[in-house]
Amino acid sequence: MAGYSSANSILRRLMLKQSILIVLALAVAVGGGAASVGMVLNSQEGIGAVSVGPWTAFPDIGTPEADPYSKARVARDGVLALGRAEGLSFVADRDSAGVTLKSECSYRIEGSLPVARFWTLYATDRAHIALKSGIRRDATLHSLEVLRQPDNSISVSVGTRPEPGNWLAVGGVGAMNLVLTFYDTPIASSTGLSGIEMPRIVRVQCNA
Amino acid sequence: MRRLFHALAIGLLGAGIAHIVILLLVPSFSERDAWSRLAMVAGPNKVVRLDKEIGGTPVVKALDPSFYEAACRFDLNEGVVRIDNAGKVPYWSASVYDRSGQNIYSFNDRTATDGNLDFVVLTPAQMIDLRKELPTEFEKSIFVETPIDEGIVVVRVFVPDDSWKPTVSRFLDGINCDIQ
Repeated sequence: MAGYSSANSILRRLMLKQSILIVLALAVAVGGGAASVGMVLNSQEGIGAVSVGPWTAFPDIGTPEADPYSKARVARDGVLALGRAEGLSFVADRDSAGVTLKSECSYRIEGSLPVARFWTLYATDRAHIALKSGIRRDATLHSLEVLRQPDNSISVSVGTRPEPGNWLAVGGVGAMNLVLTFYDTPIASSTGLSGIEMPRIVRVQCNA
Repeated sequence: MRRLFHALAIGLLGAGIAHIVILLLVPSFSERDAWSRLAMVAGPNKVVRLDKEIGGTPVVKALDPSFYEAACRFDLNEGVVRIDNAGKVPYWSASVYDRSGQNIYSFNDRTATDGNLDFVVLTPAQMIDLRKELPTEFEKSIFVETPIDEGIVVVRVFVPDDSWKPTVSRFLDGINCDIQ
């Protein structure tokens, strides 16, 4: 009788241990799976990204040929991505030296740009909401109002303080993204992206 | 101890499987995709301005502030949808998206006849029907054949500066998105 009850308690303890291990395995599987998907979708890089200097574009995003990560990103964020006949967006979250862009710092964007009918430049926060300039000036710049260098390249100042020449006014504090969008451009087709030139982003100074 | 490692190894393997399953299920179960957001603010075949904020949050994220946009949802089971408007703006482009927000077809003002916004979205079967006897009002329209039933049409218009804002607003508010 005594032997039977001790066997029973050993069995019960084993089952308890077993079920704890099963719960642990399940928690790791579900938690790890969900967390890894969230992490990948939140990062700016990923499968299908094309990087030129500090700028990153997803030429296939929002098309039926897109990879599963791009599809999930579109569905989760409610994005209506630009079509190939419309244009292509490049996003930068770091400057050319690899340091995170901040809206309290001032930057200079200089260099030549790929061919397009026109382009626009604006700053957003990390949630992709366009930054306000905090003044009456629009927090956006486009190619029809920009002054060019003699060699047709551009030089744009980005910051909270007014600058001579081209100035993109930004406001607020914290991490920011710069978005450079080309409209009606041959680079939106997949072959057009090879060997294009994008401008550098150089940090000028930071106001603490 | 060995059984703990065993459980963790199985957990990590399961995490890999869960990663793939969750990734593939996100598009079909998302309640925050563009279609759901538009359905919250307007019915089908109603033109919605995307640049106006509704309830403090933008309807669709990641839009260019130099642009004004309008969108409408359609269901081709009820008939062909024609999107048209007379008027001139510096640049417009239009896209047709399917139910899950994938861009099916896009074009801009240089593609269109006389630069006018006038296009018809229809299924291949409806196209065959329409070809038999093409109505005269469709003579200059662009036909967008799609294999989908439900979808979204978005028209984007460039606003070069403040003086264009009233013109562009009038252009977008005058867009029809009706079943023919």
